[in-house]
Amino acid sequence: MIATVITLIARRLLAAIPILLIVSALLFCLLRTLPVDPAAMSLPPNATIAEIEAKRREMGLDRPLPEQYVIWLHGALHGDLGQSIQLRRPAGSLVTATLPATIQLAVAAMVIAGALGFGGGLLLFHLRGTMLEPVADLVSILLLSIPEFLWGLILLFVFGVLLRALPFTGEVAPGLPVPHISGFLLIDSLLIGHPDVFYSACRHLVLPATALGLAFSPTIMRVLRSSLFDVYHEEYIQQARLRGLSERQVLLGHALKNAALPTLTLAGVQFGILFSGTLLVEVIYSYPGMGNLMVDAVRNADLPLIQAIGLTYCIVVLLINTAVDSLYLVLNPKLRVR
Amino acid sequence: MKGPLAHSLRSPKVLIALSMIFCIATCAIFAGAVAPHEPGEQNLLAILTPPEWMPGGDPNYPLGTDSLGRCVLSRLIYGARTAMLVAFFASLGAMIIGSVLAHISGYFGGAVDWVIGRLVDIWMSFPPVILSLILMVGLGIGLGKVILAIILVDWTRFCRVLRSEVLVVTRHEYVAAARLLGFTHRQTIVREVLPATLPLLITLLSLEMAIAVVVEAILSFVGLGVSADQPAWGQMIADARQYVYQSPSNLLLPIAAICFTVMAFNLLGDGLRRSLDVRLMETGH
Repeated sequence: MIATVITLIARRLLAAIPILLIVSALLFCLLRTLPVDPAAMSLPPNATIAEIEAKRREMGLDRPLPEQYVIWLHGALHGDLGQSIQLRRPAGSLVTATLPATIQLAVAAMVIAGALGFGGGLLLFHLRGTMLEPVADLVSILLLSIPEFLWGLILLFVFGVLLRALPFTGEVAPGLPVPHISGFLLIDSLLIGHPDVFYSACRHLVLPATALGLAFSPTIMRVLRSSLFDVYHEEYIQQARLRGLSERQVLLGHALKNAALPTLTLAGVQFGILFSGTLLVEVIYSYPGMGNLMVDAVRNADLPLIQAIGLTYCIVVLLINTAVDSLYLVLNPKLRVR
Repeated sequence: MKGPLAHSLRSPKVLIALSMIFCIATCAIFAGAVAPHEPGEQNLLAILTPPEWMPGGDPNYPLGTDSLGRCVLSRLIYGARTAMLVAFFASLGAMIIGSVLAHISGYFGGAVDWVIGRLVDIWMSFPPVILSLILMVGLGIGLGKVILAIILVDWTRFCRVLRSEVLVVTRHEYVAAARLLGFTHRQTIVREVLPATLPLLITLLSLEMAIAVVVEAILSFVGLGVSADQPAWGQMIADARQYVYQSPSNLLLPIAAICFTVMAFNLLGDGLRRSLDVRLMETGH
């Protein structure tokens, strides 16, 4: 069983390598064909043409495109993703500095999405056949149609501006010390023994994480409801009823277990999409993660940095999908017996 | 096709959605006649005025003004024009590319199917938001560029979903019968396969319009959408975000406009999906 899972993960990771190579090559070509000159950008505005030419040679921009890609790939495999033009720091270290904040946001959002999704799905199923069903159905469609971008703005407006209940800018209140141990602020603040920093960081995380979670919960809700419907057609549900179990026991003890599997798989796929959704939420809430870094890089046409961040997003999404596939295998007893 | 489409017009969801879209489209088309001011007209003596009914409101500006003294109502109305143009052309473009490839892929199968399938896989390994941002760096800002970026990102949605539908339809006997009658491949696809996949295609189209409205708002919000002199809801939000305490209504109004539009298209998509789905119709739902 463990061997099967390991083989599956290994096969998945192997399959991901060509995809990553192609994706990175495409990204590279796309960014190099843009009408922006990284050499001229990294020099002061009064640089002469000759100086720019010298810089182009130094950066290797005068060589053919495939050769440039091989040079870049060689560097990337050795952990060198190039130098950010705007910030004059290695792109790789900029990514690793901001990635933990983004992961923290994504995980918090996923927990909220899962809780709301399962709760809402059970509620939707519970309301089947009642007068409230069409209302609940309509509400879930309305929720489904609001993307994270709009949730971010709506929550910012209601809880940040109208009620002034929660902060909506940054990761932690200004003036508080920001520790850098693992990069995950929630963990680090506890490690250095600063509960006030932890509390402030939690408060700052509520709105962005909820915005993202709300956007992804309706899909989980609707899939859970429809898989509960499917499961209720199975004979073992009738049998459980005949054995005298209460409706609650049938639902929570028998139906939910079986309906949870397709829902979890979907939630995993959603997690990949959710991860890239952090970008917008970060921009709305000025949250110092990778998404904000990406938008700054894009505004300044900072090609090495765009490439590094773009690739990181692709890698993380690929890793999440691989993990979901393996989890599915672990959880599904039908796939275990081979 | 006449039957199912006429049938779908009896669905309350579709009717509500269509009337919502009609309102937005009217604003968009007749923006010049409906809007009280030019969208770019600045009045620096009246910046951040609240809506008319609030204390300090100016009847000249029914919904107040923004940080440059521009009429919010007029900008909302002209913003609807931008949003509808993007929604219409971007989703149409994505639909054409995606559905042509899906029909070729599903109908012919084999190597063609494999190549198109891998192309979609690679395309989809880029998160859509990231890909559209990168494309905007390359394309530069502007209405046409936004439309092009959305087409280049979202054609895969159509391609993936439609391909499996085409696969199912192609296996039907009447498609084989058409080939035996001497139809060319093109004739078979256009006359026999396409009518069967059309309901799904129309549904996807209306859902894509909702997505396009949101993506346009996102790109304008980030400052990588339409050019600065063209009013867009995303830009209005970004501007109002900075003066949120002085004038909260400026933030709320464009958000409400986007929500209204997105819900209209999603409601239409959901209504069409239920009323056009032949399988649901046959089972009497």
